[in-house]
Amino acid sequence: MVKLKVTNLKKNYGDLQVLKDIDLEVKEGEVVCVIGPSGSGKSTFLRCLNQLEEMNGGTIIVDDHDLSKKININKVRENIGMVFQNFNLFPHLSILQNIALAPVQLKKQTKAEAKESALKLLDRVGLSDKANSYPDQLSGGQKQRVAIARALAMNPDIMLFDEPTSALDPEMVGEVLNVMKSLAKDGMTMVVVTHEMGFAREVSDRVIFMDGGYIVEQGSPDEVFSHPKNPRTIDFLNKIL
Amino acid sequence: MRKIGFSIFTIFLVLIAVLSGCSQSSDQKQPSAKQGKTYTIATDVTFAPFEFKDESGNYVGIDMELLKAIAEDQGFQYEMKPLGFNAAVQALESKQVDGVIAGMSITDERQKKFDFSKPYFDSGVVMAIDESNKDIKSYKDLKGKKVAVKTGTEGAAFANSIKDKYGFQTVTFDDSSNMYDDVKSGHTVACFDDYPVIAYGTTQNNGLKMVTNKEKGASYGFAVSKGQNKELLEKFNAGLENLKANGKYDQLMNKYLGEQAKKSVEKDTSFFGLVKSSMPSLMQGLWLTIELTVISLIFASILGLIFGFMRVSTNKVIRAIGLIYVDIFRGTPLLVQAFFIYFGIPTALDFRMSALLAGVITLSLNAGAYMAEIVRGGIQSVDKGQMEAARSLGLPYGKSMMKVILPQAVRIMIPSIINQFVMTLKDTSILSIIGLAELTQSGKIIIARNFESFKIWLIVAIMYFIIITILTKISNRLERRIRHGKVKSN
Repeated sequence: MVKLKVTNLKKNYGDLQVLKDIDLEVKEGEVVCVIGPSGSGKSTFLRCLNQLEEMNGGTIIVDDHDLSKKININKVRENIGMVFQNFNLFPHLSILQNIALAPVQLKKQTKAEAKESALKLLDRVGLSDKANSYPDQLSGGQKQRVAIARALAMNPDIMLFDEPTSALDPEMVGEVLNVMKSLAKDGMTMVVVTHEMGFAREVSDRVIFMDGGYIVEQGSPDEVFSHPKNPRTIDFLNKIL
Repeated sequence: MRKIGFSIFTIFLVLIAVLSGCSQSSDQKQPSAKQGKTYTIATDVTFAPFEFKDESGNYVGIDMELLKAIAEDQGFQYEMKPLGFNAAVQALESKQVDGVIAGMSITDERQKKFDFSKPYFDSGVVMAIDESNKDIKSYKDLKGKKVAVKTGTEGAAFANSIKDKYGFQTVTFDDSSNMYDDVKSGHTVACFDDYPVIAYGTTQNNGLKMVTNKEKGASYGFAVSKGQNKELLEKFNAGLENLKANGKYDQLMNKYLGEQAKKSVEKDTSFFGLVKSSMPSLMQGLWLTIELTVISLIFASILGLIFGFMRVSTNKVIRAIGLIYVDIFRGTPLLVQAFFIYFGIPTALDFRMSALLAGVITLSLNAGAYMAEIVRGGIQSVDKGQMEAARSLGLPYGKSMMKVILPQAVRIMIPSIINQFVMTLKDTSILSIIGLAELTQSGKIIIARNFESFKIWLIVAIMYFIIITILTKISNRLERRIRHGKVKSN
């Protein structure tokens, strides 16, 4: 079943065209990693998927919702979790409050229910003991795991990851990737913009290589990493591997 | 949202109750034997011996007692509003009041706009100089010098008519005590004022002496708007006639201009003596200052939030509206805003507004513009990622603002808000110009009575300083508590 269908997606900032013509389908439970040089439009593409960036052309269909039409985007976003490079935890709220905020505010859960499920989520990312801490008391890796728990609190069936490990010290990358791996194993539909080629190779069902606002090449990790066809893909992989 | 709406509504009701409470206490209601229409009469605040506050804070003077006696004689009720001379005249022009009694000379120019009663006092102009000055003996000695006059008075008209002949310049002031101080401090060598005023001042040791004979001048009359309140004018004339006939008029003149006046000179003019005698009315003024500040700031905060949000809106039109509001009120002086709101708008639209209401509106709108900028700055200083994270969870814009952005923005805004609080408190002094008896105006009124400008201004300054220091200290403590309390910074 197709979870996410992107057709002819275009996005520009003024005269600068960032996304030129993107087509993509993501099936339920599929893990798609997006790689490519900086400035290739991969983050913009990801942010279009939950309309943090408005698109200038084409359509995006999430489940049955056509994002190019006038719809209640908030309802759609409840179903799409997002994890940011800079965590974006709410500094004035405790870890528990960070996670419980949306479910309580959007009346999905009572305070007590939200607290209970927040504690479960914290347990899942291995941070049960931090429930009453504040974001500035956590390390980068811990913050990102909380951010994942926060995104999961709304029970989304798609998760978007925007370079989730890029702002982390190297020794903390692993703990975050492990959480993501377990999510993938549980059957979450995921779109991950990443520079972690090891993760992409090991976890993803499909790898997409973007450059200059286009999807240049896509395929299974083995196809893209071991037998790249496009010269730009080859050039990029040569530089980073 | 409904909850917020309700609480704003509640604040509104409370404020309206408070406002109507203050306006009642600040106006002097004169009881009368017979029932009838209550007239609103404006007067000057600093025109002794015609109107000034005595030591116990009541308005006294020839005008005050004359009108009271006439009202008793004729059986009508009135409310006295001491606005200052110019403000009183403008208030009459804009029909904010029914009449003006303020030692107002009957001139041709004024008769075009107002109807005057029969003259109740024959005035005249006299020149006064500093007590210690021995050089100025006649108008000739003024050559090349500067002379102080009071706006719109007969003295000013007379001085201007002879200034070319004798070769001096005029400097204009808004009230007599400022004019006298200017002469005493030597900026100007002499002043021209109405005879009774200077005559009374010298009996109160104002530091000046009269050096010329009285120039025959016009007479004082009670004024109403042209063609309006005819019955009030008739009652005034009839009452004046009766008082002259029964001798009460002469008693009154003697009380303020004769030997009797000298007895009422304040005895203790030492600093602490003045502190003691002026404290009750200064405290009243301070209280009004604080009231004005607090009420205006509450409204300013609401306006600031509304327009601050408009300033960060994604909608161009809404953003433009916010910008226009902020630009207008930051781009014009508070004084002009106060005049515009108190005199301009009511005149143009033909309605009345109390000085207190006008003061609160002016200060609220003015401080609101600055608050809007503080709110905008606070919101914009919160990292963009915070809004994105909140929106990505499905929280609508408003909820994201209230729950995520604002709590962080407020911490950033606190020092600026404290600063605005202090600014607004100081700005209330500007409202003395529309006759609000706040702290500065209370000081002016006392000086009009006792001419102790140095000591009284010092006391007023110290009072402002103390209250602002206390407020700043409290705010700083509050700020520390918010910063170091449960709420952590990033």
